[in-house]
Amino acid sequence: MIQLNNIEKYYANKGVKSYILRHVTTTIKQGEFVSIMGPSGAGKSTLLNIIGMLEEPTYGTYEFLGEDVTTLNERKRIELYRNHIGFVFQAYHLIDEMTVYENIEAPLLYKKIGSSERASRIADLLDRFNIVAKKDLFPNQLSGGQQQLVGIARALAAQPSIILADEPTGNLQSAQADEIMNLFKKLNQEDGITIIQVTHSEKNATYGNRILHIADGVVKDDVKVIV
Amino acid sequence: MRNLWKNKGFSLINIGGLAIGLASCMILLLYVVYEFGYDKQYKNYKSTYIAYTNMKANGKTFSWAWTPGLLSQELKENVTGVSNSARSSYPISLLIGNGENKLKNKGMFVDPAYLKIFDFDFIDGTSDNILQNINTVILTKSLAKKLFGNHSSINKIVKLDNLEPLKVEAVIDDIPQNSSLTFDYLMPWKLYEKRETWTKKQGWGSNFCLTVVQLQNSNTLAQVNTSIKDLFHRMDKDQENELFLHPLSKWHLYGDFENGKSVGGKISQLKIFLLLAICILLIACVNFMNLSTSRSEKRAKEVGVRKAIGSSRKSLISQFILESTLLSFIGTVVAFILLEISLPYFNNLLNINLIIQYNDWRYWLTLICLILFTGLIAGSYPAFYLSSFEPVKVLKGFSIKAGSAFSVRKVLVVFQFVFASCLIVCTSVIYQQLNYIKNKPLGYNSNGLVQLSAEGNLKNLQKINLLRERLVKAGAVTNVSTLSMSLSNGGNNTSGISWPGKNPNTSVLFNNRAIGYDFVETIGAKMVEGRSISKQFEKDSNSVIFNEAGIKAMGMKNPIGKKIKWDTGENVIVGVMKDFVIDNPFQKVEPMILYSAFKDNVSVILLKLNPSANVTASLSKIDEIVKEINPDYPIDREFVNQSFEQKFENEKLLGTLSNWFGGFAIFISCLGLLGLALFMAEQRKKEISIRKVLGASTGNILTLLNKDFIKLVAIANVIAFPLAYVIINQWLSAFEYRVAISFLPFSLAIVISVLIAILTVSIQSIKVAKANPIDALKYE
Ligand SMILES: Nc1ncnc2c1ncn2[C@@H]1O[C@H](COP(=O)(O)OP(=O)(O)OP(=O)(O)O)[C@@H](O)[C@H]1O
Ligand SMILES: [Mg+2]
Repeated sequence: MIQLNNIEKYYANKGVKSYILRHVTTTIKQGEFVSIMGPSGAGKSTLLNIIGMLEEPTYGTYEFLGEDVTTLNERKRIELYRNHIGFVFQAYHLIDEMTVYENIEAPLLYKKIGSSERASRIADLLDRFNIVAKKDLFPNQLSGGQQQLVGIARALAAQPSIILADEPTGNLQSAQADEIMNLFKKLNQEDGITIIQVTHSEKNATYGNRILHIADGVVKDDVKVIV
Repeated sequence: MRNLWKNKGFSLINIGGLAIGLASCMILLLYVVYEFGYDKQYKNYKSTYIAYTNMKANGKTFSWAWTPGLLSQELKENVTGVSNSARSSYPISLLIGNGENKLKNKGMFVDPAYLKIFDFDFIDGTSDNILQNINTVILTKSLAKKLFGNHSSINKIVKLDNLEPLKVEAVIDDIPQNSSLTFDYLMPWKLYEKRETWTKKQGWGSNFCLTVVQLQNSNTLAQVNTSIKDLFHRMDKDQENELFLHPLSKWHLYGDFENGKSVGGKISQLKIFLLLAICILLIACVNFMNLSTSRSEKRAKEVGVRKAIGSSRKSLISQFILESTLLSFIGTVVAFILLEISLPYFNNLLNINLIIQYNDWRYWLTLICLILFTGLIAGSYPAFYLSSFEPVKVLKGFSIKAGSAFSVRKVLVVFQFVFASCLIVCTSVIYQQLNYIKNKPLGYNSNGLVQLSAEGNLKNLQKINLLRERLVKAGAVTNVSTLSMSLSNGGNNTSGISWPGKNPNTSVLFNNRAIGYDFVETIGAKMVEGRSISKQFEKDSNSVIFNEAGIKAMGMKNPIGKKIKWDTGENVIVGVMKDFVIDNPFQKVEPMILYSAFKDNVSVILLKLNPSANVTASLSKIDEIVKEINPDYPIDREFVNQSFEQKFENEKLLGTLSNWFGGFAIFISCLGLLGLALFMAEQRKKEISIRKVLGASTGNILTLLNKDFIKLVAIANVIAFPLAYVIINQWLSAFEYRVAISFLPFSLAIVISVLIAILTVSIQSIKVAKANPIDALKYE
């Protein structure tokens, strides 16, 4: 599903190139649950952003679903966001002025999904995440864990084939973190959604089935998780 | 101070908006002051009056500043409260020359007392014992210069109309442009009586001169007006006209009368400009407030810290007001530069001479007031708004909710756009009305119609016939005729016409004009029935023609061959002409009687250019032939359609000014909107980024950002429309002929204002909409 070839990323400052990613070559297949780990500043978020097409690599090729996306035009990229990729953020990034319901609805509006289909999908998600009672509340009226649930529900609303999550539990207590991780695992196993997450926690990484260790912009280790 | 510099972009928009607003306001104020200064240059202007005659005719009352020649004397001698009075003729363009250096300039014939009532600035000579002798003249400085160069002109002889030698008794300074008196030289009334002998014999029913009156005390005006109301009737039992005095200071601005009462005039247009000036300044202030408050959140922290370290609310407010006053001061300096740059252009446009009175303390006072007012108005709201922040909340991390500040800002934007949209509607209706009147058939064909003023030999009918023959033969023109008044001016009228069945108690006023042969053909008018005055009918001396309006006013059926009485003579109606516009194209055509110019009743010669000949060639042929026949006079000719254009000057001026200043107002509003959009986009950066990763396109984002503004603009339009309708309806009601108010101006206003809003907002937000979402999402 994802094919990274010799990806490099550097920032040039006064002629000095500071590399953030070097020679990253890897393949992620449909249905995998990959955790990216490494020390702070290693380039994990950068890698995830490149996978999510939020940043462009300075060098190398990137194929998404068999299509070279390093030089993708805006319209095509929006298509991918609408239909294939769901983002989950450490800071949740819900829209403050909108209710839980409206937050989940937002991607569906851009996907131009009919109103009845929309309503049933949102009802489904609210139900599944046990937040029906909260649907008319605003984000600042929810706990962090609840906000992240809404964030994931929103990412799932468009029925993506892959979820990219940058430290989704970074701001959460461990109990809530476990809940989220279980949810990811379930989504991965039952719905076959590909998941790539960045995490600092060994424990969280064990929910997945593969770990990419990154240090100084280089993939040091690529291990399978044995349950 | 540091603050202003730190936010250069913001300060630029702010100062720019203020400067344009202030400059527009100042230009308009200069213009308003100029207009208000009309006729107030004279020391005694407060106690000086113009005598007006009210005449009832055609079912309404006409008020005009024409009076009988006998009036002045009577007022001075027998009316208590009157201290002085003088006659003057209306300005007449006559040839005046020093040897071969001959020029056509405006002269007026006046009583010597005239120079006591108006204290003209004497450069040479004094106002004592002046114009006593019949062959004397007073020149204005610029005319003296034109005639005599740098030589002294005192006691030199100039020649009037190649005829009358006049001794220059004095030279006075030029009359200021904002004076209703317009002349280049003054001559004694006695000379007028000599040249126009008929004036001597006129009684109380003949109004042919202007009478200026000075009262001992301006408080007695009401009393004097009551005592002179029926003066004409007292002097002559047959006279029904009424007399009243109109203040000189109101002559220019309050020139319209209804039912014999002053009902304003140009003052209403001036009030519009004053309103416009205030509104533009307010809009600029609103801008300032908008930009300041929208930026205020950024400064919230500073306020919080200041408050935390013990600044009182008061000192914060004064700091903000100081800052905004400083900004408005800088804005004023920029405004001055703009003003000095644009004044020549506006002077050219308005055909006047506005200058900044740098040495007048009142000017500086107004200016300082303006700066303080602007600084205060513009700075007050942000000051109170900002200083009311709670320091704790602010320092804990200030989050902006769609709260009160924003809704106030919305109200301000709505206000700006109400104004802008009103202006768009009004301006387009003004242009529609102008177009409508211009395209309304005149009743004659003004294309290729040239008017030649008849002077010297050209007053002589034989010479005119000679001219006709030669011009037609040369192929320059197809038709030649004459008229006793300029075709595009008002002029003589009479109520002395009676016909069988006329109600003796009502008076009907007819414009009367003497016409030459082929008049109808020359101007391209139409006869309804009967015939025109032509050469075949040598005995046309008692034939008359009416226009349709005239026949209608008399209520006559089958008018051809009917007899009417005009004063003492009896005339036969030989034709009826289709109505044609002579005076005011905005009003209905008045009744008119036309008769043969069998005497020397010619003031203009009308020439219809040969349509198949080259215009320039024809004109030079005309000039050549006219010069041969009439060598003593410079050629004075004009195209009728050009002189007709001048009738629209007022409306055109209004159109141009509202166009320009409306444009400025809209531009300033746009700057405000720009600032607001800048702030909005900044504030919603995170939201926009989130939406983008959720799959929103740039278009989606722009729609989102524009939606709110368009709502505001729509609300503004809804408020503006009834307002604009009332205003423009009021304006239109002054015209008898007017366009129907259509949907067009309103749809234009919607389209323009929405388009402008979208453009402004989009220019600003496209940057944010196109930005990489990760920039806003990365660092939390
Ligand atoms: N715009 C930029 N210009 C220069 N350097 C940058 C820029 N953006 C990121 N970096 C650098 O790239 C490096 C990698 O950043 P990245 O956010 O990928 O780290 P990370 O592995 O996610 O760290 P953390 O675990 O703290 O989130 C960091 O050293 C950061 O300073
Ligand atoms: Mg990171």
